Amino acid sequence: MANGYAGRFLRVDLTEGRCSPFTVEDALLRKFIGGSSLGAKLFLDGFPLEADPLAPESPLMVMTGPMVGSGFPGSSRFAVCAKSPLTGIWGESACGGNFGPELKKAGYDGIVITGRAEKPVVLSISEGETKLTDASGLWGKDVYETTDILKETDKGIKVLVIGPAGENLVRFAAVGNDKGHFVGRTGLGAVMGAKRLKAISVRGEGKLAKADETRYREAQKAAFQEIKDSALAGSLHAMGSDANMDIGMINGDVPVKNWSIGEDFELSAALSGPTLSETYLTRTHACANCPVACKRIVRVPDGPFQTEEGPGPEYETCGTFGTMIMNRDLAGVIKANELCNRLGMDTISCGAAIAWAMELFGKGILTVKDTDGLDLAWGNMESVLALLPRIAGREGFGDLLAQGSLAAARKIGGNAVDAVVHVKGLDLPMHDPRGYHGMGLAYMMSNRGACHLQHAVLATEQGMASWPQLFPMKDDYQGTTSEGKAELVFHSENYGILGNSLSICHYLTDILKPETIRDAFNAITGFGLDFAGLMACGARDWTLKRGINNLLGVTAKDDVLPKRIMTPLLEGAGAGSVPDVEKLKREYYVLRGLDERGFPKEEKLVELGLDDLRERLYR
Amino acid sequence: MAKFNAMTQEWLDAWKEKIATSAEYKEIAKNWEGSVSIIVNPDPEKGIPEPIYVFTDYWHGDVRDFLICDKAKAESANFVMSGDFARWKQVAKKEVDSTKALMQGKLKLKGDLTYVVRNIKTVNKVIDLLCEIETIWPDEV
Repeated sequence: MANGYAGRFLRVDLTEGRCSPFTVEDALLRKFIGGSSLGAKLFLDGFPLEADPLAPESPLMVMTGPMVGSGFPGSSRFAVCAKSPLTGIWGESACGGNFGPELKKAGYDGIVITGRAEKPVVLSISEGETKLTDASGLWGKDVYETTDILKETDKGIKVLVIGPAGENLVRFAAVGNDKGHFVGRTGLGAVMGAKRLKAISVRGEGKLAKADETRYREAQKAAFQEIKDSALAGSLHAMGSDANMDIGMINGDVPVKNWSIGEDFELSAALSGPTLSETYLTRTHACANCPVACKRIVRVPDGPFQTEEGPGPEYETCGTFGTMIMNRDLAGVIKANELCNRLGMDTISCGAAIAWAMELFGKGILTVKDTDGLDLAWGNMESVLALLPRIAGREGFGDLLAQGSLAAARKIGGNAVDAVVHVKGLDLPMHDPRGYHGMGLAYMMSNRGACHLQHAVLATEQGMASWPQLFPMKDDYQGTTSEGKAELVFHSENYGILGNSLSICHYLTDILKPETIRDAFNAITGFGLDFAGLMACGARDWTLKRGINNLLGVTAKDDVLPKRIMTPLLEGAGAGSVPDVEKLKREYYVLRGLDERGFPKEEKLVELGLDDLRERLYR
Repeated sequence: MAKFNAMTQEWLDAWKEKIATSAEYKEIAKNWEGSVSIIVNPDPEKGIPEPIYVFTDYWHGDVRDFLICDKAKAESANFVMSGDFARWKQVAKKEVDSTKALMQGKLKLKGDLTYVVRNIKTVNKVIDLLCEIETIWPDEV
């Protein structure tokens, strides 16, 4: 068994009610490391790709990496992977919190779940013992309630929980980890709901074996010092991820009014990280072993959007339930965030679907007759808050939005699709490619659809991080040019992907020196990978997932940006600018070794050691 | 246009004049309160044998002291930014964005980061006006 790993995975067949451990060869771990990379390999090798994402035979995988549980800063992550019920292609979402380290302590590197339970169940793992128990009494309860009930008997357990949205198969349903952390994107809560798996709880006391404890301690010490010295870490601690709101609005990063306006400084000032800190912040919160503590704990004490003290909104949520829908009331964003958390919904895709509906309502394409009487005027938070439970409950107009903005627009027909801002069915996160052309390419080529977290492009293009030791980099990149961006995206993806396979936080990969991460990784695993070896793992991950998507029907014609993004803005830092999609794609395809169909060429698959995938794509 | 030697009192006076006469700055900076010092680390090869300390002070759209000063005065400012000469030159020539340099650790900041982010337009405008000055850099003489 390789160091850094628990050494076994758990297979759960919910139809049969059976749990059994299995192992993965060390050679496979060296090649794919862990997290969603290893998940993709297990998916390709062991499951019917063509199956409906919500069918019993489609797997749901909860995966950790070798650094998880080590105590290294940022190593709290885990990934949930499955074929996405929102996009129909590869789906994955990573999450912080504390579930990942606890799963490792409980003796498992990951869980692979298939089947469908006859009645709702909870999967419990404690010190290697597993059991499935009836969860009929929890079905229908929200994420917070369920979490509290599960922890009543043992406060030390860590839980993954779905809410009503997951139970009702909302296509952007999320999975919550201990209230404050969410597996948000690509609708994986619906996959859990389809399996009638209400929750997973873990409890463990095991200790992780490291290859070289002394070298690990040195790397860990260096990491803590780098965090202490980092302005980015200081900014995240002081303001959370919403520190981006003020700066992003200046730089043309923040979408306004469903991506139709280039800037609104009053809006960003009302919704910014500093404003949150000065108004509703009660304290900060950290994932396991993280000194940055970027999470916000907030409370709205009174008024129409009153909330209990609880997890506060990230920047993305301040975008989707703020700037995107022209809501200037931060308390309203906090209330919407709390409701989405409780119901178990991705705040990005949910907010994007509402922004899309508000645009159609403003244009008269939708009326109160279509919306069950809700006035979806821009910024009407009372209607938004009334709509959220209807989406989770799939009631009336809520059921239309529960299918995701693209599916909803296709049902409406006409020009409704033009207002959906997505790539491969996944709504864009809150970073505008008209302000940052590299992000446009990253959205086009990300393997889960439009994504800001499967790569490190945001960090490098916006200048939060610079890694000339990894690849040739300029001192500064202008956002509104496509020149040199294909190369930047290619390398930044290969490095950023490691965050997912090693399972460490993306912010920490931005903050820490690559040398420190490499040294810690090698001290834990003993793999002895240099930068080239690590970057090759990133490239292998990208190509593996691309190949899976090719087998699921993705081709070059899907590597596009939506019409709205290809329409220049009239104001703001991105005014008049759109990514040069053809140039970016042409240059990127060469770097990735893709053919004109958008398939990895055979020689690229051989170079990366993906012979099984080559067999599947070219047989 | 007149040219000024970098990091001299004449250069600071020209920068102060630029800011004081900018109506746009006056509007953007109407909420800013507080002094900012710049510390340039020594780099003998680039013509900077000793550290340079600069003190600048801003108050609700107006500018107050702009001085070459000593270490104690510089460290008394509300915000203290420090970095190598090469980095400051890149910022002043608009080759590197100051916020990015800060995030990447190429420049260091002591002071309330939240306040800086809240007023980032003011910070950017002050830098933009600095970039408009024709500057003679010691390593280019």
